Amino acid sequence: MTAPPDLKDFLSSFLVEAEEHVALANEELLALESAQRKGEHHPRAIRSIFRSLHTLKGLSAMVGIEPIVSIAHRMETFLREFERSGAMVPLGATDTLLKGVQAIAQTIATLSRGEEPAAPPPELVRELDALDWGPGAQGRRAEASLELEPALREKLTDFELVQLAKGVAAGQRALLAEFFPSPEKSAQGLSINAVRERVAKVAEIVRVLPRSVPTSPEAPGGLSFALILLTSTNDALVAEAVGVGPDRLQKLHGELTHEDPTTEAALDTALPLDEEPEAQTMGLRRGIVRVDVNRLDEAMEGLSALIVTRFRLARSVAALAARGVNTRELSDVVADNARQLRDLRAAIVRVRMVPVADVLDRIPLLVRGLQRATNRRVRIELEGGGAELDKSVSERLFPVIVHLVRNAVDHAIESPDERNRRGKPEEGLLRITCGARSNTRLELTVSDDGRGIDRKAVARKAGRPVPEDDAGLLDLLCIPGLSTRDVATTTSGRGMGMEIVKRIVTDELGGELALRTEFGIGTTFTLRVPLTISIVDAFAFECAGQRFVVPVATVDEIIEVDGTQLVKVPAAEDGSVEVEVLLRRGSAIPLVKLARLFRMRAGTPAQKAIVVRRGGAPIAFAVDRMLGQQEVVIRPMNDALIRAPGVSGATDLGDGRPTLVLDLVALSTTFSLPARAQELRP
Amino acid sequence: MTLHVLFVVADVTYALPVENILQMESFMGATRVPGTRDYVIGVATVRGKVVPVIDLRLRFGLPAVPPTLDTRLIVTEVGGRVIALLVDSAREVVPLDPSQNQPAPEMVGERSAGLVRGMHAQGPRLLLLLDLPKVLSERAYDHDPIAFLDDETQHRPALPG
Repeated sequence: MTAPPDLKDFLSSFLVEAEEHVALANEELLALESAQRKGEHHPRAIRSIFRSLHTLKGLSAMVGIEPIVSIAHRMETFLREFERSGAMVPLGATDTLLKGVQAIAQTIATLSRGEEPAAPPPELVRELDALDWGPGAQGRRAEASLELEPALREKLTDFELVQLAKGVAAGQRALLAEFFPSPEKSAQGLSINAVRERVAKVAEIVRVLPRSVPTSPEAPGGLSFALILLTSTNDALVAEAVGVGPDRLQKLHGELTHEDPTTEAALDTALPLDEEPEAQTMGLRRGIVRVDVNRLDEAMEGLSALIVTRFRLARSVAALAARGVNTRELSDVVADNARQLRDLRAAIVRVRMVPVADVLDRIPLLVRGLQRATNRRVRIELEGGGAELDKSVSERLFPVIVHLVRNAVDHAIESPDERNRRGKPEEGLLRITCGARSNTRLELTVSDDGRGIDRKAVARKAGRPVPEDDAGLLDLLCIPGLSTRDVATTTSGRGMGMEIVKRIVTDELGGELALRTEFGIGTTFTLRVPLTISIVDAFAFECAGQRFVVPVATVDEIIEVDGTQLVKVPAAEDGSVEVEVLLRRGSAIPLVKLARLFRMRAGTPAQKAIVVRRGGAPIAFAVDRMLGQQEVVIRPMNDALIRAPGVSGATDLGDGRPTLVLDLVALSTTFSLPARAQELRP
Repeated sequence: MTLHVLFVVADVTYALPVENILQMESFMGATRVPGTRDYVIGVATVRGKVVPVIDLRLRFGLPAVPPTLDTRLIVTEVGGRVIALLVDSAREVVPLDPSQNQPAPEMVGERSAGLVRGMHAQGPRLLLLLDLPKVLSERAYDHDPIAFLDDETQHRPALPG
């Protein structure tokens, strides 16, 4: 068999799903841990962790990610005991399990960077192997005695494994028989369905697995069916039912020397792990499709192209109408088309929305780690999370929340001793609330009941006058490089400062950041960000010393301008602009100097030209040089004073200053070309 | 008493009530927007929003001067619009009693094409009260831009103060 061509596609969906299971396992491990601390039992969490690990293992085996298989398998085997025995997982083990999940998460991160994952760290493997197995240890059970080749074992669900083990424990024999379909056999009426029926009379069919095998006289179709059976009848009868010789049956277990009572007990309490075993392993949830965000971007790009086409169509219709053609019906169609495109756009935007809970769910794990590193005790209150926001907003928002939470735990919330002295409860409170303020904006607050921010200290540190209010204080905090702590701590000493928080919230997301703090009482940061942002792929370029960007979707091509190929056509009396004409693949393209159009002083001669289509005909805009391609967030320029033809908004290329986003197609409709330019050949 | 921010444009001191002012900052430059009016020297990012920057010198029809260390951006908000004004300097915040406001002398009102809505005598100083909505509206300028420009460029400010 050759590798399936869509392995890469599969890998990306694997990564998405694996991340989800890692997140889930983390969440449940934390729940388990907090139950353990209270001395409570939490079998549901154990079961959920077990399932996630099992799925992770299965998925990783499918794509051949050995490090994950190895870690997940160890943890799964460990948990299985507790899952089945109902015993409590020792507290220390949870920590090791969290480390294991962490290692899996790292492997996933490595994979998503396109790098080859490393083998699991040996100390982790040792730690996992040394886990305290607790009371269920002897119950390492009949299942262990099943002699299944790994490829088969992977395909079986836990329920089936239990079924096999149980059968064997009860004295049945577990057998593997193989049926090879062929035209001759089906001529004799021996199809897999017939075999199933016949076998069912003499054995219990645990699972029938179709497998692809090398083509041979025995297996002319390159296909076989592995039947995994439990039976009490003799091998000859079973072999006959399958249509093979008795020597072709394979026994799947060693001899059981004695009946182990704990095994029996364990098996009796064993429940089917998966209500829908198939669906669980394949990661399918009814009615839910997981999609790589790049595919959505592709759809959005396709839509952008459609929108550009629609504009061209509308212009053509307008041109027809101007020539006196009756375009009423055509205009109706164009209007319908516009409405449908709007709806389609809204539908795609909706698909990109993810629950904000995806972000918030990761906070408890973060806080847990911070508590340990800083010796603080923190209680988290999460509120809201029902709101949905664009995936790209949520991705940008996450590091911001992480930073604010870190600051709160590391700087704001006092040590338990200090809190005692101040008459506060030992456990600090970290509260995160989240909700949609309107259809377009999300409000998120991160508050703590810690020591508050000392205005005077911050002012001293910044070497500025003491701010009068919290807004002024926030401005000081956002001065690059300012940290109120002289000693870098392990948790907050690195990473980004408030200035990055502010940059992401206000500049990148176009949102607002506010602060309310009371010295000794606590601090609240409030973020208001748009639920969606308009992100496009754009070319950056320079023209007359000023930088601009133009959305990639509107650009036909970018060409070199070779001065010798140009023919100048002077501006005509009719108010048309001066153009040059360049030859491109045998046809003449009018070239307009963008600098001249914008009445800017051109420095260096133009080297490049950006070609767009105006009503289907190419038109080139000469610019100084191209600066590369990047994703940009477009911010609207709504004020009447700055609305200008061909300027669709502004973006930030990273220097904190606005860079104009140009719509060259729209710009090209604001002037006319000299009639002669159309006919000339260079 | 209403708090006002005082600022200077071409040696004349103007006053704006603080409720119209979002913030003041040093001038770090603006991105020119082709195809806009000359007095709109570009756009700047203020609190995540892209806002127009108006050079008040150009708005009053005076020649522009290179920015100095004193040059300030006064970010104003009026009627939901956020617009930054470039001024020569802005140093003071003073309480003014609105009942002491006087109508602008006819000459000033005429010359400023209605951009000044009144004046206020503060001791020996005479402060001009800027009519912000008119400064920001395009119409005040549009009805006869050329006449306005000519008038102002020919007569350097001989305003009281």
